[in-house]
Amino acid sequence: MRFVLGLGILAIVQGCASQVSIRSLPPEHPAAENAAAVESAAAFAAATKANGAETEADAAETKGSPAGSETGRASPGASETLPPVTPEDAPSMYTYDPWERINRFTYRFNARFDEAVFLRAANAYRRVPSPIRSGVHNFFGNLSEVDSVINYALQWRLTLAGRSLGRFVINSTIGIGGLFDTAARLKLPGAPTGLSSTLAKWGMHPGPYLVIPLLGPSTLRDGLGFLGDYGTSYGINIAGLYRGNVSWALGTVNAVDQRSNVNFRYYSTGSPFEYENIRFLYVRKRLIEDEGLRAKLSRRRARSTTQQENAVGEPAGQ
Amino acid sequence: MIFSDTSSAQESRIQRRLVQLTLAAMLLGATSVHGADSLAPPIAPPAAPGRPAGLADSAALRATIFGTPPQDMASMPSRVPLAEINIALPWSRPIPDVFWFDRKLRVWFSAQDKPAPLAIVISGTGNDGNTAKLSVLRSALYGAGYHVLTMPSPTFPGFIVSTSSTGVAGDLMQDGRDLYAAMQQIVAHLPRRVRITDVDVLGYSLGGANAAIVKSIAGKEGKLRIHRAVMINPPVNLFSSIGRLDELFALSIGSGDEGVERLYRRLYAELANLYRASDRVQIDEDFILGAAATALKTDAEYSAAIALSFRINLEDMFFAGDLYAGTGVVVDPKHPPKVGDSLEETQRILRNKPFSEYFTKVFAPYYLKHRPNSTAASLIADNRLSIIGATLRNDADYYAQTNSDDLILNEQELAWLRDTLGSRIAVYDHGGHLGNVGERQQIADMLDMLAGRWPGAAK
Repeated sequence: MRFVLGLGILAIVQGCASQVSIRSLPPEHPAAENAAAVESAAAFAAATKANGAETEADAAETKGSPAGSETGRASPGASETLPPVTPEDAPSMYTYDPWERINRFTYRFNARFDEAVFLRAANAYRRVPSPIRSGVHNFFGNLSEVDSVINYALQWRLTLAGRSLGRFVINSTIGIGGLFDTAARLKLPGAPTGLSSTLAKWGMHPGPYLVIPLLGPSTLRDGLGFLGDYGTSYGINIAGLYRGNVSWALGTVNAVDQRSNVNFRYYSTGSPFEYENIRFLYVRKRLIEDEGLRAKLSRRRARSTTQQENAVGEPAGQ
Repeated sequence: MIFSDTSSAQESRIQRRLVQLTLAAMLLGATSVHGADSLAPPIAPPAAPGRPAGLADSAALRATIFGTPPQDMASMPSRVPLAEINIALPWSRPIPDVFWFDRKLRVWFSAQDKPAPLAIVISGTGNDGNTAKLSVLRSALYGAGYHVLTMPSPTFPGFIVSTSSTGVAGDLMQDGRDLYAAMQQIVAHLPRRVRITDVDVLGYSLGGANAAIVKSIAGKEGKLRIHRAVMINPPVNLFSSIGRLDELFALSIGSGDEGVERLYRRLYAELANLYRASDRVQIDEDFILGAAATALKTDAEYSAAIALSFRINLEDMFFAGDLYAGTGVVVDPKHPPKVGDSLEETQRILRNKPFSEYFTKVFAPYYLKHRPNSTAASLIADNRLSIIGATLRNDADYYAQTNSDDLILNEQELAWLRDTLGSRIAVYDHGGHLGNVGERQQIADMLDMLAGRWPGAAK
């Protein structure tokens, strides 16, 4: 870690000293990207048509169909269990940020570190052939399934805990130690969760905005969640990867992999209000995600009530 | 169901970024709590003549937001190399604390392996040198054999801080001189292996006007010779075009605190309900895309999105100008903000300030002081393309492309462009403002103009 920091400081000093720096970036592939866009535009059009038909069919069906699993589509009646969010429910436009001063300094530190070290590493990493990169990405994704299993269990969402466990077992074995996401091909796509969601389920609010060194925008709850998730991984120490010498190398690769998958550059807006803008968007995004979680949980409660009612032979709905 | 896994892209990558930006812009709206100004402005703001932009037709608004559909895109090369150049300019001014990150001018460069002409492309109002539109133009130009250099708009905060000699952006001639000086520095610092046979400039929106001005300056000073200039959807009268966007804001969002707050609340609720129904694990790009297509449906919503994304760019320019000019509208000249200081309140105030206020309170006071014989009226007049009208009319190396339904032009302005450029302008029927950039015909015509193949080109 000290080595990485030292490298960062060196790069910052060097970056300030020179008048002109020319940095080569990964090339663009416009033809392939446009072809992909054409294809997905067609797929989208087809899906919209098909979905239009499905929605009508759904409306005719009764509630509680097996398709209404938590990761499947919402069943039409599901949203009725919670009243819809109205404009009056929207949180204030002010963001609770009592640690703003320190947060701003951390934000600046992160921006500098990112520019000098993280982004360079991520750009270099993007030159690695994509099958290797996706292998690495899958590998770390697979390791994080452990946290998902535990947290789904803590959230008492056992089906999903089972699914995460299944994914972990399949990908660790058939997927060769997690390098391939075989489970997704077997129609078991990933649905990661973590301690922050568990805390949300237990009723904890996001709390004040928090910028974490090296990690970036967060809230108190997300920060605790991150610590807890990391602590869990550290405690379980799968295959001895989280402790000892190899953990440093692995942690670095993990960080670079994650960074290379985030399309964000500090201060590319050039705006003096970037801190405000990012804070606003991050917190609203998390609040909306909490709304989604609440809706899922309430849908599940409604479903289990319906099933109980069915079990004693009463009608499912009024 | 709106969201399925295939919803990933109704739009191409280019439109994606725009949609994201628009939606982010819409979400960024916030209330303003500043007090009313009791003093009447001493300087009359520029008038916005012509049809109110809020009445632009639906197709034009839609095209402006969603851009060229991927299937209508010109064919693009399979691979475009890219490098980022950060350059500290010798004349740059001391960097204010709050702009510590904008020390150097950042531009993007794609080099051919062989000797080739260089195309320099200038971004639109408030934008940096690597926007989605620039990416499209870069691909097309690189594919046609040009070295391509893409530059930020002189109204982009990074440019204002690192490159502008005044810090008060928006003056066509001053911005043109700064741009031209920066271009010379950049070209001089390109690696030796890059061999340049000729230099052309292009720009879209405000960048189009900038490009023409840069060429006219180069014609007089001549250190870096510029051959041809192509303006894509340029404004004719800068301040009236911007005034039209102010008007669009007032019409679609409303002035005062309530308008923006109402928009924010409505969007928040809409996004929250869409997200609940989507059953996604987290908000990602696909969700935002689907949501944008769902949330933006009516002309009023399109207008609000366009107006708000413009206003957000304006906030930055306003802030920087006020800081450099020392005009004290939102920045106390004696105690400028430091790195740890909150700017939330400042941003709230700025969010409610239209361009006309930038003109009356920052731009005009600054330039009236520095240009002894000027008046508010002369400053407005200086920001029309007609200041180089004679050159545009007589020099056959200037070209333009625009749309008859471009929201930033009124009929007289379009007529002036046609009259001045004669056969050297292509006017398309549809596309709104920049809504056909990258489209086959637009790209083919642009390349013809640059190469001197266009009917009416200089011999």
